[in-house]
Amino acid sequence: MPDIKMKKEWWLSIRLIHWSVVISVFTLLISGFYIATPITFGSGATPDKFYMGNIRSIHTFFGAFLTFLMLWRAYLGLFAKFHARWTDLLAWTDLDNLITQIRFYLLLSEKKPSHRYQYGPLQALAYNGLIFLQIMIILTGLIMVGANIHAGLSLWLGNFLKPVEIAMGGLAGVRMIHHIIAWGFILFIMVHVYMAVWIDIVYKEGTISSMISGRVFRKAE
Amino acid sequence: MNRDFKKRDRELEERISRDYQRMVKECDLHLDLMERELPPPIEPLVEQLESSGISRRSFMKWSAATTAALMLPPIFKSRVARAAEQFGRVPVVWLHFAECTGCSEALLRTSYPNIDDLILETLSLEYHETLMAAAGYQAEENLEKALHDFPGKFICVIEGALPTGLNGKYLTLGAKGRTGMEIAREVTSKAAAVICIGSCSSFGNVQAAKPNPTDAKGISDALGIQTVNIPGCPPNPINFIGTILHYLMFGALPPLDSLGRPIWAYGKRIHDYCERRPHYDAGEFVEEWGDSGAQKGWCLYKMGCKGPYTYANCAKVRFNDGVSWPIMGGHGCMGCVEPNFWDTMAPLEKPIAEKTFGGGEKTVDDIGKILAGVTAAGIATHGTVSYIKRHNQKDFAKPEDEV
Ligand code: HEM
Ligand code: HEM
Ligand code: SF4
Ligand code: SF4
Repeated sequence: MPDIKMKKEWWLSIRLIHWSVVISVFTLLISGFYIATPITFGSGATPDKFYMGNIRSIHTFFGAFLTFLMLWRAYLGLFAKFHARWTDLLAWTDLDNLITQIRFYLLLSEKKPSHRYQYGPLQALAYNGLIFLQIMIILTGLIMVGANIHAGLSLWLGNFLKPVEIAMGGLAGVRMIHHIIAWGFILFIMVHVYMAVWIDIVYKEGTISSMISGRVFRKAE
Repeated sequence: MNRDFKKRDRELEERISRDYQRMVKECDLHLDLMERELPPPIEPLVEQLESSGISRRSFMKWSAATTAALMLPPIFKSRVARAAEQFGRVPVVWLHFAECTGCSEALLRTSYPNIDDLILETLSLEYHETLMAAAGYQAEENLEKALHDFPGKFICVIEGALPTGLNGKYLTLGAKGRTGMEIAREVTSKAAAVICIGSCSSFGNVQAAKPNPTDAKGISDALGIQTVNIPGCPPNPINFIGTILHYLMFGALPPLDSLGRPIWAYGKRIHDYCERRPHYDAGEFVEEWGDSGAQKGWCLYKMGCKGPYTYANCAKVRFNDGVSWPIMGGHGCMGCVEPNFWDTMAPLEKPIAEKTFGGGEKTVDDIGKILAGVTAAGIATHGTVSYIKRHNQKDFAKPEDEV
């Protein structure tokens, strides 16, 4: 028997953030696509119904929640005492390792990429992309919230982001960009979940359960 | 505690009434100044109203409505009326560039003139290409005379975009064949203020829509100057009249938003003042022209209404003496007051998500589905190959102890 050790990979707050992000993103996708192409709820009297209103409230709530989660993760990336450093996002700059991983993923080679970083190089690239998507969808989302709620913080943010709104071609352009990025999330999730399953099977380190328990099973080096 | 609030309330009230009094004083002073300095209107408004059989009472009602539209307190009602009577004192040079003259038509020509129209009738047009009798060199002389007689005093109203391609050669005007760019640069440099009427002069409109072969631009973009923009295709006359009234009353143009539009008219979103909004929030949408939802006045979002992206007061002041406005009439808003609306608001009778890209028939959702399909196929292939490899080469990708 080789010496297999449990290694703490993800601290509690990272796991909490991850699964909160999953719940938020799925809710945002469903409510968002309803807002884009709504279905008519025909029966009943108008004053008794508030379907679109409620769905927009849910979308805005989870949008604000996602913004909060992103800020929290960024804070951890900068200041956390445990392992959550933003420098992990630069794992792809180790080009040798990047090529090793590409060859390994394309099933061309059996050499695994190094475990030196929290993320694999491709994973780091994908998360860089995801962070860009998140920033853009939050920015466009906040502009639209600013147009919807004319009070307090959202009003201030809306005014503050006005130049961005105009550069994007007004609210219509903002909304179009928001919609396009929503598809970026769908593609990310497809690849991300598949890779999590694949790595779970191939590495046998318990990758998927690690996002729940926080621990991977890793052979002593 | 309670007393504190009362005290604060009283202080606030006092401050507001002080501010109002100051505004009223400034307004009266400025109206006096205007009456002293500018020539009286050629066709006084009172006579115009009388000859059209419009009573003083209707005129006072109009003043009250306009005061409210301008977001001024009721104390200004009589001042708005007075300013409207002085409307004809402001010398105006009206230029036409790349446009259809629809704005002039909408503003100046109606079969049943209402008060807005009559006020516009009194406008002291020193130069207006469509309306003036002069032609050729004589017309050019009129323009030069106006610039000479009222330097820095006249208001330059511009209708139409400026084609900037080929050094402006796509648009040449008049007997001397000068380009629109040259004329605009000369006249605007001598004007007290430049008011762009309609979406063409404000933002370029259809001439500037993709692919924009003449490189047409709105005046402010083309010349790099600050203009007051009254967009709309055509704009509501009251937004133009109100802006001039503000100028007459306070000697300054009204506060503008970051696109140069007066905030009193373009500060609120159509969607937030729309009478169909309760149906939007309820989830009741017209699905097809003339369906039962349309008969019940449901929301036009799915028929392409762009009210959610559009800032204008159409829902509040409406058109033609407040009779109706597009959404009340049963068609969605097209967003005609926003920059580049032909491109950003397309398709006009479908929600924005149905916009097609690259000249093809594909919407974002179609493209997204194709990409998702390709991704799924890639995943399936990768998964299958991994599975086969794993079975053929016993040792592939397994921890070494199992080899
Ligand atoms: C993964 C994250 C998100 C997804 C997938 C998503 C998806 C969508 C979609 C598909 C739409 C409809 C766009 C259209 O009409 O074409 C939408 C609208 C909207 N989203 Fe998001 N969104 C996300 C995050 C956010 C965030 C973070 C915010 C705000 C902070 C936000 C605020 C809004 C608002 C205000 C609207 C317009 C709704 C309205 O008022 O009519 N969204 N979203
Ligand atoms: C049901 C769906 C999901 C599963 C099963 C899943 C699983 C995982 C696993 C196992 C990891 C650890 C990866 C590794 O170290 O190899 C991970 C990390 C991560 N996942 Fe997911 N994930 C899911 C959905 C999502 C979604 C929807 C998003 C975002 C939109 C997301 C964003 C991330 C991020 C950013 C990390 C890096 C963690 C960090 O350092 O903050 N995941 N996920
Ligand atoms: S008709 Fe247009 S402006 Fe009115 S509620 Fe519906 S989407 Fe909004
Ligand atoms: S309702 Fe919309 S399209 Fe119609 S005039 Fe007003 S802003 Fe323009």
